[in-house]
Amino acid sequence: MNINKYPEIVPGRKFLKEFYVGIMLWVVGRALQVAAKVDKEVKAELAKLPNNFTLRMMVAPEKAFPLFFYAKLLPSFVTDIGLLPYGIQMFLHKDKEGNIKYIGADPKGKKADLSVIFTSIEAAWLVLSFQESTATAYMHGRFVVEGDLPHSLTFVRALDIVEVFLLPKIISGLAVKRYPKWSEMSLMRKFWKRIVIYIRAFTIG
Amino acid sequence: MLLPSFYDFCCRVKTISGHKALEAIPGLLAGMNARRPLIVTDKGVAAVGLIGIVKKALGSKLKIGAIYDNVPVDSDYKVVDDAAKVYKKKGCDSIISIGGGSVIDTAKGINIVASLGSDTLLDYQGFGAVNRKLNPHVVIPTTAGTGSEMTLVAVIADPDRKIKMLFVSYFILPDIAVLDPRMTKTLPGFLTAATAMDAMTHACEAYFCLEKNPMSDGHAYRAIKLISDNLLKVVKNPGDMKGRLALANASALAGVAFSNSMVGVVHNLGHTIGALCHVPHGNAMSILLPYGMEYNLHKSGDIIGEILLPLGGAEIYASTPKKKRAEKVVELIRKMNQDLHDATGGRHPRFLKEITDRNGKQIVPHSMLPTIADCMMLDGARMSNPEEVLPADAILILEHAWEGTPLNRKKINKGGKKVKY
Repeated sequence: MNINKYPEIVPGRKFLKEFYVGIMLWVVGRALQVAAKVDKEVKAELAKLPNNFTLRMMVAPEKAFPLFFYAKLLPSFVTDIGLLPYGIQMFLHKDKEGNIKYIGADPKGKKADLSVIFTSIEAAWLVLSFQESTATAYMHGRFVVEGDLPHSLTFVRALDIVEVFLLPKIISGLAVKRYPKWSEMSLMRKFWKRIVIYIRAFTIG
Repeated sequence: MLLPSFYDFCCRVKTISGHKALEAIPGLLAGMNARRPLIVTDKGVAAVGLIGIVKKALGSKLKIGAIYDNVPVDSDYKVVDDAAKVYKKKGCDSIISIGGGSVIDTAKGINIVASLGSDTLLDYQGFGAVNRKLNPHVVIPTTAGTGSEMTLVAVIADPDRKIKMLFVSYFILPDIAVLDPRMTKTLPGFLTAATAMDAMTHACEAYFCLEKNPMSDGHAYRAIKLISDNLLKVVKNPGDMKGRLALANASALAGVAFSNSMVGVVHNLGHTIGALCHVPHGNAMSILLPYGMEYNLHKSGDIIGEILLPLGGAEIYASTPKKKRAEKVVELIRKMNQDLHDATGGRHPRFLKEITDRNGKQIVPHSMLPTIADCMMLDGARMSNPEEVLPADAILILEHAWEGTPLNRKKINKGGKKVKY
């Protein structure tokens, strides 16, 4: 019998989607870090999480996944600052003082208290390209939660607010269940926070 | 009929229903190579003589390893660990749980510890921790409401950390559910009403919330029909065994439905009120159900309107214009609560302010409503409700449910796209 007639099937890769998801996770992480500093509502929401708490968003299967060849060459103290989009997972840490910080994408030496795990790269693509709202994605099993469910609800609520800040109504209307009225979020607040969050997310954090 | 773009559905519980159904248990257990079950129950069930009925039905064909009847109302992991020790010491190979939601959930926990080998349930927290087939588990529900015999979830408290731990796995699903009307015969009228309205809420919310699908719809539809046809009859005539069996079936059907479709704002607020004010779950459900439906009318009115056929019957359905059907559903649920209130001599509450403890003291004071509205943000059922629910929305619902006035729908925050199922 020629065993070579039965080759092992090596799973393929979807580089474009991995690249997009990696960038989006980086943006989400950095934006949450900034929003927790500049917006009272996001701050109050994330205050419900315990201090010294690490949150991870990732795409299953679990893997540190360098997107750029040079990421492998960088020392971990550089990647941990999180200034570069690095892999298809991201870590947020709430320290003892209650500050939220994006701490990169390298899982080495980090223990997550709460993991939001997209079940596949396709699932992450559907959610992060706003084809499915967060609630619909949860209903369709696009992501699972490992850890305390109340904490994940807090995170999702904060994420919803940040999405409204970051994206125009036509897109964020697809991502959230109910787009806030002017009485719930003034135009001034929305546009001012949008500018601040974008500038700080890409610079000082 | 609505076909969602994506759904999953699973129900693996063999169901035995009917008069003398209990007598089938020895044969069924033998078919799973189990001959020495541990019976798990609580003192209340034991006190009304239900264990005697089961023992008699099992006859001499089955050796009962032990009877563990120390399950409290809010069970915790220490009870589970304790019972698992009894299971191991007595050399049991299966579990028969007899009781309501707490007993069934505890038995699921015991089965995890006893089957997977550790000494404590705490070792099996987290996603994927329960990862293989457990020992045979037969459930005999004694209330017609929780539907826990059909669900893959066990809620067990950790008193040290003051949290409720959620264990979710398809392996937790019981193997067999036995629905025998003898087991619910002794349930008083007001409890029959509350538990059946809990099942009604499971079915209705499964039908209109975000995870609805054709398979769970079928179960929910039949559950609503059985409850609306039989509940009032059974409350008025507790000896109606046919009606009792119908309610037990409805509860199981609703259990399958909501286990696969999830629930929404009614459970969201109901869980929170239960946790903060210790309101019986069935009472909270029956009061909040019409408000939860009214709150979602602008998003899921068409779907809620479909409930009118099983709830009100063909004549009412046909004579009500399509646009008015959803409102008619809400009206009929309110009428059902009123009829149950009258039939139980006022022991079935219609509004939150009517719920009192044994001393006649209000259990839900008006001052608690803002706290309830804040805490409901931490309950998972919020996710599957068609409309977003934030504290300001919750206050609106709670104020009306407390007073007993219909929801002022003009005040509901509306916005966003139509619901995508």
